[in-house]
Amino acid sequence: MKDKLMPYVLLAPQILLTLLFMIGLVTGITQSLGVIPAFGLKKPTLLYYKEVLSRPDMMRSVLYSLRIALFSSVLATAGGVFFCGVCVMGKKTQGAVMRIIQLPIIVPHVVTALFIINIFSRNGILARAAYALGMIQEQQQFPMLIYDPHGIGIIMAYLWKEIPFIIYFVIALMANINGSLGEAATNLGAKTWTVFWRVTLPLCRNTIISGFLIIFVFALGAYELPLLLGATVPKALPVLAYQEYIHPDLRNRPYAMALNGIIIAISLISSLLYFLMMRKSVKCLTEEQ
Amino acid sequence: MKNKRKSIFISITQFVLLAAILVPAVTLLLWIFTERWTWPDLAPQVFSKRAIFEIAGRKKELLQILWSSILISTVVAVLSAVIGIMTARAILLYRFPGKQVVYFFTILPFMVPATVFAMGIQITFIKMGLNNRITGVIIAHLICSLPYAVRLIMDGTAAVGSRLEEQARVLGASPFKAFYKTSLPMLMPVILSAVSMSYIVSFSQYFLTLMIGGGNVKTFTILMVPYLQSGNRNIACIYSTLFLGVTLLVFGVFEWAAGRFMKHGGGEFYTSE
Amino acid sequence: MKKRISAALLAVTIAFSMTACGNNERPKEENKTASVTEEMSFETMKEEAKGTTVTFYGWGGDEKLNEWLDNTFAPAMKETYDITMERVPMDIDQVLSQLSGEIQAGEKNGSIDMIWINGENFRSAKENNMLYGPFVDKLPNFQDYVDAKSKDVTLDFAYPIEGFEAPYGKAQIVMIADTAVTPDMPKNAEDFKEFVRKYPGKVTYPALPDFTGSAFVRNIIYEICGYEQFLDMKGDKETVKAAVEPAMAYLRELNPYLWNEGKTFPDSSTTLDNMFSDGEVVLNMTYDAYGTAVKIADGAYTQTTQSFQFEKGTIGNTNFMAIAANSGNKAGAMVAINEMLSPEIQADRYDTLKVIPVLDNSKLSKEQKASFDGVDLGKGTIPQDELLSKRLPEMPAELVPMIEEIWTEEVAGK
Repeated sequence: MKDKLMPYVLLAPQILLTLLFMIGLVTGITQSLGVIPAFGLKKPTLLYYKEVLSRPDMMRSVLYSLRIALFSSVLATAGGVFFCGVCVMGKKTQGAVMRIIQLPIIVPHVVTALFIINIFSRNGILARAAYALGMIQEQQQFPMLIYDPHGIGIIMAYLWKEIPFIIYFVIALMANINGSLGEAATNLGAKTWTVFWRVTLPLCRNTIISGFLIIFVFALGAYELPLLLGATVPKALPVLAYQEYIHPDLRNRPYAMALNGIIIAISLISSLLYFLMMRKSVKCLTEEQ
Repeated sequence: MKNKRKSIFISITQFVLLAAILVPAVTLLLWIFTERWTWPDLAPQVFSKRAIFEIAGRKKELLQILWSSILISTVVAVLSAVIGIMTARAILLYRFPGKQVVYFFTILPFMVPATVFAMGIQITFIKMGLNNRITGVIIAHLICSLPYAVRLIMDGTAAVGSRLEEQARVLGASPFKAFYKTSLPMLMPVILSAVSMSYIVSFSQYFLTLMIGGGNVKTFTILMVPYLQSGNRNIACIYSTLFLGVTLLVFGVFEWAAGRFMKHGGGEFYTSE
Repeated sequence: MKKRISAALLAVTIAFSMTACGNNERPKEENKTASVTEEMSFETMKEEAKGTTVTFYGWGGDEKLNEWLDNTFAPAMKETYDITMERVPMDIDQVLSQLSGEIQAGEKNGSIDMIWINGENFRSAKENNMLYGPFVDKLPNFQDYVDAKSKDVTLDFAYPIEGFEAPYGKAQIVMIADTAVTPDMPKNAEDFKEFVRKYPGKVTYPALPDFTGSAFVRNIIYEICGYEQFLDMKGDKETVKAAVEPAMAYLRELNPYLWNEGKTFPDSSTTLDNMFSDGEVVLNMTYDAYGTAVKIADGAYTQTTQSFQFEKGTIGNTNFMAIAANSGNKAGAMVAINEMLSPEIQADRYDTLKVIPVLDNSKLSKEQKASFDGVDLGKGTIPQDELLSKRLPEMPAELVPMIEEIWTEEVAGK
């Protein structure tokens, strides 16, 4: 009897908060459909979505956002996992070094943008070093790494923040598995690298994919870095949304929400894929009990 | 021989990452004192203490805002951890219908940008009277940080398992005591991660705090961001340095508290040295 | 047992933190609902406002202005009227978003009292009934010292103010260059084209819709297309597009010689400012006409830096203070706004921050005039009478976003 009620009791706060979250989400969606009583907009309509999707630069922005998010997330996950692997195999997963490496997690994104500008801009330290070393004669010869239509600066900024995040996310589990199961495999004669590749990595798969998804969706929807480091055209999706949001004519709000709706749609598709992949493991875990 | 090569490789990798992280930090500190640093010089031409004076002149106000911001984020962090534990246990250790759906909803906030959520929830919070109040801000932050806590603690709970706890129950301990004495110490490292992660998610919120707090609830980030956008680099850098310094201090306190709490050096499961 | 203790500790911490944070959360009871302000005389308002708090919402990225507001204006308010000023740093779009949310939710005792606002934002707020007014006729200092007939005071971006906002400070766009690096400063659009060709890759302007970049483009439009036609132009994108086409063509011609070949532009005026300080570009532009002196004094600019205008003039505007429609302390807000218009405060602001005052010189007494004239504007600036003699009015606010869109479509990256 008690056992039957227990999970619901435990879940109560989570459910309450989820409810609030859903209300926020649904309100956002209704706003994107043009229903904002505060501004006198009462009829639901797909007009805003139509207009937003038919903008000439829309496709470019979507591709720009997707490209930045994919590149940064894939590279960050690969880099993070690689680094975790190196440390775990070398059995060095604690200590001052690890702490410093996890520092970028606490740095706000706007400060990260400052760093990137300081170092990689045409005025930055790298450019000046190149000049001092005689590699370039004029400021303009230094390649355009930020404010460029490829989003290189933005990707670098995300990498700086997300590689440590992936490390943080994955290393505890990886160390644990490599320590216990990995140890057992080594004792049976397997080489360290084989152990990592065939035992540890597959068992960490879910956590790694979780981490990937979190940073992918974040990169897709955050506006600060593309705003500060991006090109004038194309603009990333969240930047477009933000600019519509701050438009002085408050009746532009539905455009912002429609753009946000598109971002949410892409994110939801990704999360659905994730959910399908994770389904098996949640089931397994609980069936064991 | 091979071990040595491996260890050099590891050291190089670590060094590269360290440099990538420390070099920007150094430029941050340098810029606090810089007034003018033109191309192509490798060192600033004009130094100034303007940023230091700005901070010194606002000491009292800054301390007040820092203190209340830390308190808000700590409350969010602790609540995230507690609710995270509850939710993780419910999902992993019990059977009930709709488990998959519940799990999906716990991680849903990951999939929605904070700005969207803020814009959507503002009117609701106003109607509920939660806007412009600290409680509202705490709840809003909690919604954003809880998924991290749940995710991390679920991993930990899965790794720790429930066998030890069950054994304690079999031996006669009450459910709470069993949890408290067996699972909790082993979960401590992951709880610490969850608390730290939730803290930083809350402490760095800008847009959300602005929308829900309405200018009434002032956190340090709200003070800091306009300066970051203003282009006044030395002022921006000193506020950033303060932000980072304070966060590191708070993390230090969290770790100390966690260390005191851990009874039997329960970090075993997570070290491999 | 221990679990209960820790649970209790947790509860206590939360409760404690709520109250300890209380000093950062304004208690709502303090805001008096001044519901009959329409009938009140100014004297009564001063009485009503005694002991209350007035919130002032506006952009918080100018640390010198913040410092002046907190350490000069606020103490003056407290001492003279026993009113506590509370400055809230928030971008105007957020302010209006919050205000509209509160009004929609029926909040009668709003958290926003005074707002720093102008232009399109003012128009939008006024049309949506988010502002309280008209109120400037109730302010003694406005009657005594402000030229109520001046276009600077009756129109905000060519939109009638009708007493819903009071002037705060004047701004005018100027360009800045280092005479040691570029001794020749362009006097008109033709010169500017030559200037850009002479220093290829070293000139640019902030990407629209940045406030300053937008003003620069409008200035170019005025130079090339003349400004009169815009003052009463219809708010229709096609009309505007046709009218500004010559200016867009001009800007496109500039692109190949601009920084980064005009493929991308600095995202904001502050980025451009930093690029200028760092020597990456040789031209800067700003609405803060006398900020140059401050930066030279700080050391951010060289001693030889100088600001300049086009011969035909540069765009100037005024920024204002307004009162939220649902403010819980309208009386207090009016007292504060009135104080901001006093000659003493305006002179102090002029002296400390070098912001162009909004008062009518002819209405000032000799001593008051002297306090303004005595202000040393500092190096690298344009004398005030010269600056103001070459001042062009802003065009209707609704045209501004259209021009910004047209620029993005026609010029950026072309």
